[in-house]
Amino acid sequence: MRKRRTGTTVCIYTFLVLGAISCLIPLFWLVRSSFMSTEDMFKLPLILFPKKLKVQNYIDVFTMVPFAQFYANTIFVVVVNIIGALISNLMIAYGLTRIEFKGRKLMFSLSIGTLMLPAYVQLIPLFLEWNWFGKINTFLPLTVPAFFGNAFFIFMLCQFLRTIPRDFDEAAFMDGASYPLIIAKIIFPLAKPAMAVVAIFQFMFTWNDFMGPLLFLNDMEKYTLAIGIRTFISTFYTPWGVLMAAATLTILPLIVLFFIAQRYFISGLTLGGIKG
Amino acid sequence: MKSKVFVFISILIVIGTGFCFANGQKAVSDDKVTLKYIYWGSPAEDAAVKQALSDFEIAYPTIKVEPMYLPGDLDGSTYNAKMKALAASNTLPDVGYFRPEEFGNYAEKGYFLKLDDLMTRDGMQESYLPQTWLKIKGNTYGAYSAAECQVMWYNKKVLQEAGIPLPPTDYTEGWSWEEFVSILKKITTDSKGKHPGDIGFNEKDIVRYGVSYDLWSSMYYPSVWSNGGDIIDVDGKTVLVDKPETIEAFQKLADLMNVHHVMPHMTGGTNISPLTMLANDQLGFYVTGQWTLLDLGTMKDLDYGVAALPIMKKPAQIYVSGVNVVFNSSKHPEEAWTLQKWMMDPSKTLDLYTSGLWMPTKQSYYTDANDLAKWLDNDVHPEGFKEAVVDSMAVAVNEPIKIRNINQIWGDYLNSAVESIWIGDKTAEEALTEVAVKIRNSDLLQGSY
Amino acid sequence: MSRTKIGFNTKRQTLWGWILISPLCLGLTLWVAFPMGLSLYTSMTTWDMLSKAEFVGFQNYIKIFTEDELFLKSIKNTLYFTFLSVPLQMVVALCGALLLNSQVKGKGVFRTIFYLPSLIPLVVSSVMWLWLFNHQYGLINYFLNILGADRIQWIDSKEMVIPSLTIMNVWNIGNVIIIFLAGLQGIPNDLLEAVDIDGGRYYHKFRYVILPLLSPIILYNMIVNMIKCLQLFVEPYIMTNGGPVNSSLSFVLHIYNNAFKYGKMGLANAMAWILFILTMLISLIIFKTSNQWTFYEGDK
Repeated sequence: MRKRRTGTTVCIYTFLVLGAISCLIPLFWLVRSSFMSTEDMFKLPLILFPKKLKVQNYIDVFTMVPFAQFYANTIFVVVVNIIGALISNLMIAYGLTRIEFKGRKLMFSLSIGTLMLPAYVQLIPLFLEWNWFGKINTFLPLTVPAFFGNAFFIFMLCQFLRTIPRDFDEAAFMDGASYPLIIAKIIFPLAKPAMAVVAIFQFMFTWNDFMGPLLFLNDMEKYTLAIGIRTFISTFYTPWGVLMAAATLTILPLIVLFFIAQRYFISGLTLGGIKG
Repeated sequence: MKSKVFVFISILIVIGTGFCFANGQKAVSDDKVTLKYIYWGSPAEDAAVKQALSDFEIAYPTIKVEPMYLPGDLDGSTYNAKMKALAASNTLPDVGYFRPEEFGNYAEKGYFLKLDDLMTRDGMQESYLPQTWLKIKGNTYGAYSAAECQVMWYNKKVLQEAGIPLPPTDYTEGWSWEEFVSILKKITTDSKGKHPGDIGFNEKDIVRYGVSYDLWSSMYYPSVWSNGGDIIDVDGKTVLVDKPETIEAFQKLADLMNVHHVMPHMTGGTNISPLTMLANDQLGFYVTGQWTLLDLGTMKDLDYGVAALPIMKKPAQIYVSGVNVVFNSSKHPEEAWTLQKWMMDPSKTLDLYTSGLWMPTKQSYYTDANDLAKWLDNDVHPEGFKEAVVDSMAVAVNEPIKIRNINQIWGDYLNSAVESIWIGDKTAEEALTEVAVKIRNSDLLQGSY
Repeated sequence: MSRTKIGFNTKRQTLWGWILISPLCLGLTLWVAFPMGLSLYTSMTTWDMLSKAEFVGFQNYIKIFTEDELFLKSIKNTLYFTFLSVPLQMVVALCGALLLNSQVKGKGVFRTIFYLPSLIPLVVSSVMWLWLFNHQYGLINYFLNILGADRIQWIDSKEMVIPSLTIMNVWNIGNVIIIFLAGLQGIPNDLLEAVDIDGGRYYHKFRYVILPLLSPIILYNMIVNMIKCLQLFVEPYIMTNGGPVNSSLSFVLHIYNNAFKYGKMGLANAMAWILFILTMLISLIIFKTSNQWTFYEGDK
């Protein structure tokens, strides 16, 4: 590769740093507020850095609501969802892009069509359906659908699989490999970055989901974090400091996890394979 | 690296699965009667309700209560969504809170237990405030879970610094509107210490405001009524929002923001709390729901008081609250009724009242000196609370929840019309005359329940 | 080489195809077809979830188009938001991804930072931005003040509320960046080096290698984000409740109000179908025009 000019490098760094700052400022605001009393947050001129850290906010998070339990519930639901999403979507996407059979185009279009359904109105029929199965107030309605594929991911994986040259699997066919074997041994390693993205996105979808848990769960000890955080937001008096502390606690492990994982997910992309 | 991630994920799975099974196996195996009690509220209210419910279980060892807590939300729509889903799937709880705006709708369709016979049997009718019982077509289907109304808090320090004498507390002796506005002007200051009306006053740089009014439907009524106006007649068919008195009341409130500059603009969904401004000495008066006392009471550094609401033409008050109902689908109506009575009895759930969240619905707690002392004699309720708030319940009118579609009339028409007055886009006359026509032309005026 | 020659006969291939996509078929039936059927039926009834549904045919649809003035308003708001957000997001995210893909020190840290906003639950980031946008106590106006500029009414004014939500939405593009980044990683180095050898500049790389190879992913991001934007809900629901004066009333918020606040399930479902058809139309247009600018290596 040609050596880059210093000017370009400086330019890249400047933009990276600027971008990073604008990403970080709201988060700084969040963390800063989580250590403040609500009163201090409303002082003028604004207090940018609290002089005395109010750690009590973090203690309150756990005493005001069963936050640890919310945490465990959320992790459980998220993990099951990720497993489901990884298995089902790769299978489906492979079937849709790599095998020629009648009806695959139709199924692809149908699946894409589901993207366009407004989720909030679908919830009520879904609720009725799960009630019919007798599984309201369990984690099943929040986890099982993940094993049936998700149009977002199917679409995305299809797009990715299309960038992988066919020679790889065709060579394997020649050697007499079966489809599951090809998916597991050839496609999965090649699609690892995309799978990582699926995992992260599924994480986010599940982590963010508010209406689902709200409708499907009845007992507080089954609630997830999204509802847990919502309990702090009140029309009349929101304990902002505690709310911000709860929010910080919610995202902190995610940040750590993502930081560890991104090296594996993104940097470790299988450059060699695709470049063939 | 790979293996580390793998190990991490495996650990998560194990933890997660463990919790799942732990939850799944929590089954009740004895033959107690189990009641589901549904309610909303802040974490503080949740704690208070859970305490009351567990006290109930101790008093009635044969009944077990499963609390079903839904987090508080902006307009009750998530609570209503959940309730509708439960109703549509025949899985309603036994007893609990109910959103007032939906009460008539469900009552009419037979979702609630008719309470009249039980009330007569237990002598409940007379011992509670008459506004408490909610009747549809002559039958009682529910009761307000508390008596709640509008109040005006003030920050003593701010008033002293502005040189204002302590305000009147007798609700019939409240300030006239003109007096009120002139006092607010004395309180409001910009960063250079100037007041509205002074030369060089900068309305964009105000550091202390005179007043903040909560701007949502239930909180408009007392002002409108005080001026002799109304929104929609109780018959549910006559639109009164373009009555001159109503228009004048809204214009007066808007002028606080746009003409006199004594009130901050408070639009948007989740408002940043005026309570905090009060605590920070950035606000003189705060006109809001009396339940904010729960949070006010926890602000140890704030010296607050309560004043009589300003009077436009006559004293007015609103009676507003969540509703308590027993669901018709309950398999244990007798026990559910017992629980509802328990939740309505201030002596059983005194914390909810002494903390300032609720006011009792029971008559004796307004008239009997002993009972009054039980909930008013504490650090939370400021001096004058009885004259300014408790006594004002004598003129309190129920929030008009029996008008059909009132929720949508507000949501689709009135809220945005009123908002355009607040932000100064239109005068009250323009906005309200216009919206009145629209409401009359809509199909929402269907009478009342 | 033609694909059918691989040594599998067509019957077996078809069987395997259906086996692999069987979760999709089942999922479509259970979690899509059934709820959709119910929703379609409901859209032609007066169902309020409490009493028996009464069949009224297309009356709900007629009512929406003839009587509901908020319908048009909310559609307008939503389209405004979408056409403001999507192009902006695409450009910013692509630039971000290109930056993050360059050979710099601390790549991992930068990538994590750029993705951070997406990790925050929407409920929380809405509350956070409510603060940042606050007229008096918000950080943005604080900086404007320091710079000597006038404070801006962000979400409190009719004109600025949608642009404000757009800013918030653009801030939250970690997901889009990640997909672009993964796509960029998939671009063969030898192609880029070929441009170098030919004496091409970065612009040529971008124009003739990166852009074409990335086009399927651009299409994906565009469509997915457009759909997301058309379903804007949480932000206005938490931050503005549709105000001021309905200027941030999104279409889904309007549906939500009708369904859950007013209990008009029939009407709400009819609106949902209108949104569905609208989304389909827009996607179709993008898909149709995309043939001219997308490029699939695998389909060569």
